[in-house]
Amino acid sequence: MRKLMGYELRKLFGRRLTQAALLAAVLFSALFTVSTYQNKYASYGGRQASGGEAVALDKEVAARYAGELTDEKVRQMMDELAPKSGPQGLNAIYLYQNAMQSAVTARFSDMYGNWNGLRVAQVFGEEEIRIGYVDGWLSASRDMEKSFLFLSFAILIMLAPVYSGEYGGVDNLILASRYGRTKCASAKALAGILAAVLVTAGMLACNVGAAYLLYGREGLDCSILFAPLTLTEGYIPFNIPCGALLGYQALLSLTGAVCTAGVGLVLSAACRTPMIAVVASAAVHIAPTLLPVAESSPLFRLLALLPVYQMQFEALMSLGQLEGGMPYAVLALPVSAGILAVGYALSRRIFAAHEVS
Amino acid sequence: MELKTVELTKQYGKKKAVDCMNITLTEGIYGLLGANGAGKTTLMRLLCGLQRPTGGRILLDGQGIGRLGEEYRDLLGYLPQGFGYYPDFRAIDFLLYIAALKGLEGKAAERKAWELLEEVGLSREARHRIRTFSGGMKQRLGIAQAMLNDPRILILDEPTTGLDPKERVRFRNLISAFSKRRIVILSTHIVSDVESIAERILVMKSGRIVHCGRPGEITSEIRGQVWECAIPAEQADRYVAQLNVSNLRNERDGRTVLRVIARDKPMPNAKLAEPNLEDLYLYYFREEDTGGGRRRGSGPLAAASGAAPGCRASRDNGAAAAEGLSGEASGCDRDGEWKGGDIR
Repeated sequence: MRKLMGYELRKLFGRRLTQAALLAAVLFSALFTVSTYQNKYASYGGRQASGGEAVALDKEVAARYAGELTDEKVRQMMDELAPKSGPQGLNAIYLYQNAMQSAVTARFSDMYGNWNGLRVAQVFGEEEIRIGYVDGWLSASRDMEKSFLFLSFAILIMLAPVYSGEYGGVDNLILASRYGRTKCASAKALAGILAAVLVTAGMLACNVGAAYLLYGREGLDCSILFAPLTLTEGYIPFNIPCGALLGYQALLSLTGAVCTAGVGLVLSAACRTPMIAVVASAAVHIAPTLLPVAESSPLFRLLALLPVYQMQFEALMSLGQLEGGMPYAVLALPVSAGILAVGYALSRRIFAAHEVS
Repeated sequence: MELKTVELTKQYGKKKAVDCMNITLTEGIYGLLGANGAGKTTLMRLLCGLQRPTGGRILLDGQGIGRLGEEYRDLLGYLPQGFGYYPDFRAIDFLLYIAALKGLEGKAAERKAWELLEEVGLSREARHRIRTFSGGMKQRLGIAQAMLNDPRILILDEPTTGLDPKERVRFRNLISAFSKRRIVILSTHIVSDVESIAERILVMKSGRIVHCGRPGEITSEIRGQVWECAIPAEQADRYVAQLNVSNLRNERDGRTVLRVIARDKPMPNAKLAEPNLEDLYLYYFREEDTGGGRRRGSGPLAAASGAAPGCRASRDNGAAAAEGLSGEASGCDRDGEWKGGDIR
């Protein structure tokens, strides 16, 4: 069985289209990361910086206020960081000078840059909010979201020929051989799932590694709730540290990859050519995002558990928590297990039972 | 070992690719002859379990092959027509992959793969990628993969396609040596491939086995219907268009000798000749191969290829003769109904 899986993995990664798709996903991911890093901007104390210097400047500002967020700290930050007036009367909330300034004005400023009178408890409840430099890791998390969406399509391209690629004639040999309908069909499915997990884990490792190199370890223990304005809209509504958020993202990207593999394998077995399998699986994959279902609808809570939302993860995480404090997103685990089991069994069965033509 | 089909039928829509077939195959080499669309490939796929019959059963020693599953496939070697492969695999890797599918592992698989590569003359190209192979080399690789597991039942669909004469001789010798205590079924258009090695010839037409027998026996069916006649070379085209000509040979004296299959003497100077398998093939498939019915009812030669012994209905074309035979040979009557009896 291991030998057969080895051959299947070799076939999977040996295809030019797969290599091109994976390379494209890696390049996109690198592009997102570099572009985000290069576009970082910060100004503080008369200094302006971009790229790596902006990151350093943001870290310097964050270090001044790092620790638990208190009312005193809010007042101090408002006094020292908040811009007093915007050009052409622009609301001060939307003025960006640095990550910490954006985070505090987004929640505690009126439109003129004055304290809006809210206290920490009024904004965040009884939660203890640890603040620090979270901009880097949260930006990396957003980039990973986009990268994983691309990667999910690369996975579908990779898995499309697992079964359908054999229908061009090799299926004659496979199905007439002793283990063609049993071990080989299983090895194909298992290799497909393993390949999906491997490329996702690889992408995750590359992204986390790059973020670590670019942004360092700062902020992993800080709350995601005190983030710059650009990262807070529609974001996760409960208090977890940046590190935990990345953990959930890693988990959901892997469950998403496994789900995507399950769906991709079934369509690979059901379609007669790899190209039809790619188109069909991409359509099925993206379909939930095209449905006219509002995020407030109860139906969305089900749709959000599908692979495409697991890969995007933010929409799923934004659905709040279950009783006991676990994110609703953990329901993706049993859903993934179900889709995986069905995908494995069904794809294997379709392939083993098909008639050659 | 006995492989048997019982009223085996495979239907695509209204077309019956295999029609109520009853054959019993025991150890030996069987040559399956038939024109395109006769149902040979479908029959072979059914025997390999690659397609499900619309009706009837296939039994190995009395047990259904579907029920035997892996046990049956373990006995099977199959070379499909135009077999698929992985272009980026090296020949040896491809064989080792197929060996793994067949349950051969480790050193035994490697030893067998190298041995077969040697036998089919590909040992020097073993580490070349398949995409660099010629058609004949791919075909030889296909033959090698079919024999990896020392199959007790070897099914070869058009195995000599793309092979040059030397390779065909090598293939025939390989199969002959391999066939002891095995069932070997090979289909081909190339009559000479089966003529020399097949112990039995199965002639298939319109989904039925219309004739079965030893090469010498079945040609005797058309004994007295194969003629050789010399004509002026300039008239050759006209005669070829009108007669069922299996061979044409130009002589130095400006005459052309035609080998004609006809029930009645096609011309006064015609002499009877000893029939061979190619004559038999043409006898059965002339109409299909030439687009059908070109000579039907035309001229004095129309009946020349007509009714053969055993034909129940007198018709004026070879197809009628073949159908007449089919009832007796396959055990089915002309409507495909079982009358009893097997081919052995």
